[in-house]
Amino acid sequence: MSKFIIQVNGAAYASSASYNAYRFAKAALESGHEIERVFFYQDGVLNTNTLNSPASDEFNLTDAWVSLNQQYEVQLVNCVSAALRRGVLSQNEAKENRLSHWNMEKPFEMGGLGELVTGIEAADRVVSF
Amino acid sequence: MNLHHIQTSAKQDNALACCIKYMDKQDSVLLSGNGVNSLLLSQWRERLADIRVMLLKDDVEARGLSKRFKDYPLIDYDTFVKESLTHDKVITW
Amino acid sequence: MIVDEQIKMKKVAILFRRAPHGSPHGREALDLALLSASFEQEVSLIFVDDGVLNLVKDQQPELIGAKDYIATFGALPLYDVETVLVCEESLLEYGLDLTDLTIEADMVSPSLITEQLSKVDEVLVF
Repeated sequence: MSKFIIQVNGAAYASSASYNAYRFAKAALESGHEIERVFFYQDGVLNTNTLNSPASDEFNLTDAWVSLNQQYEVQLVNCVSAALRRGVLSQNEAKENRLSHWNMEKPFEMGGLGELVTGIEAADRVVSF
Repeated sequence: MNLHHIQTSAKQDNALACCIKYMDKQDSVLLSGNGVNSLLLSQWRERLADIRVMLLKDDVEARGLSKRFKDYPLIDYDTFVKESLTHDKVITW
Repeated sequence: MIVDEQIKMKKVAILFRRAPHGSPHGREALDLALLSASFEQEVSLIFVDDGVLNLVKDQQPELIGAKDYIATFGALPLYDVETVLVCEESLLEYGLDLTDLTIEADMVSPSLITEQLSKVDEVLVF
């Protein structure tokens, strides 16, 4: 069995790349492979905006990532600077920036690009979307 | 041997052109998302003629293009995962 | 001396194929390149197509509300990034040569870029 790191660069909804990333991650886990972490970079951080509210008959990608975490304990990590620039903040960043709202919470986590780099070191394969 | 992954239409983005220019001709190409549409155009079919090309099945079927692409291998996500491991790496353009 | 066997050094190539400022790709590619280099990965940078425009001298991105990450290319030697490849065909297409660029780079043929893409462990395209 192999270990992957999945890099998601495409936005939720605005790009089909992020949905494909989810399907790839799911297929890899179901085949018994391990995912070191899913790393959200560039517009990919928009996948972790928990205020994403598609209509009830539409696919909810943010929820899908959350269920992947619940089922397989996959780490879902944002690049914090990419996220802040795009208005995705956890309670912590909201507090630091004296903002009264936030839109990212567990199981999504804020991390640095270092976590992408160490993930690349640790994984057998990087797949970007 | 690398697996080159193209997610965008060749009409909209030059990812495919860029990939073909710099790839080793022994490498493989996987078209996904709007990337599958490029093969509707004879120009791109010709440029990819001597290269091992795969298409992501759900992306083809979702766009109503299965019949048009019956000569190409349509792969599911499990096969995508396998191909990503049998190649040395995946380069997403 | 204790050697941490968990840390595998990898050869990572960051490929720039898009023009600067119209989208944040170039800026976020450089951020990743420098971060990877600071983690002791062997990082190489490759510029092709519109990507070569990242290296043009005398840019003033702040005039259009963009961050001047171009100046940061100058820091590459401090991070021990030694391999900077620029596609000669792409430069030619835009009427540029090495003297137009803000940093020292190797002007190489497309086939040399193909070789580099095969040599490294991972390639991330921006």
